[in-house]
Amino acid sequence: MLGLFGVGLTFWLGMEWAPSVSINAFQAPDAQRIFYWHVPSAWAAMIAFGMLFVASIIWFFKRKEWAWRLHVASSEASLATGLMCVWSGCIWGAAEWGVPWDWTDIRLNTFAMLTLLSLYLVLGRRSQPDGIETRDTFSAFGMYGFVLVPITYIATRLWQIRHPGPVIATSEGSLNSDMSIVLLIGAISFTVLIIGHVMAGMRLTKLEMHLQDLQTRFEEESR
Amino acid sequence: MSGQNYLVAAYLGMIGALALWTWTVFARSKTLEAKINSLEKALFNEESE
Repeated sequence: MLGLFGVGLTFWLGMEWAPSVSINAFQAPDAQRIFYWHVPSAWAAMIAFGMLFVASIIWFFKRKEWAWRLHVASSEASLATGLMCVWSGCIWGAAEWGVPWDWTDIRLNTFAMLTLLSLYLVLGRRSQPDGIETRDTFSAFGMYGFVLVPITYIATRLWQIRHPGPVIATSEGSLNSDMSIVLLIGAISFTVLIIGHVMAGMRLTKLEMHLQDLQTRFEEESR
Repeated sequence: MSGQNYLVAAYLGMIGALALWTWTVFARSKTLEAKINSLEKALFNEESE
């Protein structure tokens, strides 16, 4: 609830309080306000991919039940935030660049691959019977897929093709301080939101497992 | 399309995704709890008979 409130506050501040950008520097200055949710959702997606990586390793090597529940919850969280980021990025691209996507841009494509990976994990888990082999296969994807996270992070620093480079924590310091405050509130709110969602998702997975056990018991006793 | 329209389209999509995700979590939780309760009742009844 706190996360949702913060996300709502970020939206309001981004629309009403944050200053407008120069009409000379942008093709679509109004659309620039997409940035106040686009960047925090990308940040939240990266946190979710990090959780997915840790959960996959712990499940794979230590076989902890909570790690599998974290794997399931974080793959769903990374899908939701990844889709939010890709959708808002495409709309901003259409407004600012005139095209929603650039197949030559490393940042766009590695992030899209991460989102597709989480889609595969969410849909794959729902279509496969639960078991050690299934969990190991999806955990392996969670571990190896994480290699795309550092590539996505450094992509605009090494190969800036179309996606803008970093605007905060750089020597250029190009972001206005009011914009930075809204962005910071957004990043904190999305972090709280995703932690809350992952916790709720872990509880859901626990309930699903409990239901599965009860159904098995019920079927055995009915025979 | 003007910048404002792009802004509206982007936020509507994101708000929709966020609302759907949150609603799904609550709805799944409710459904699972109801199923667990009914199964537990059925199992308890069988055991007591």
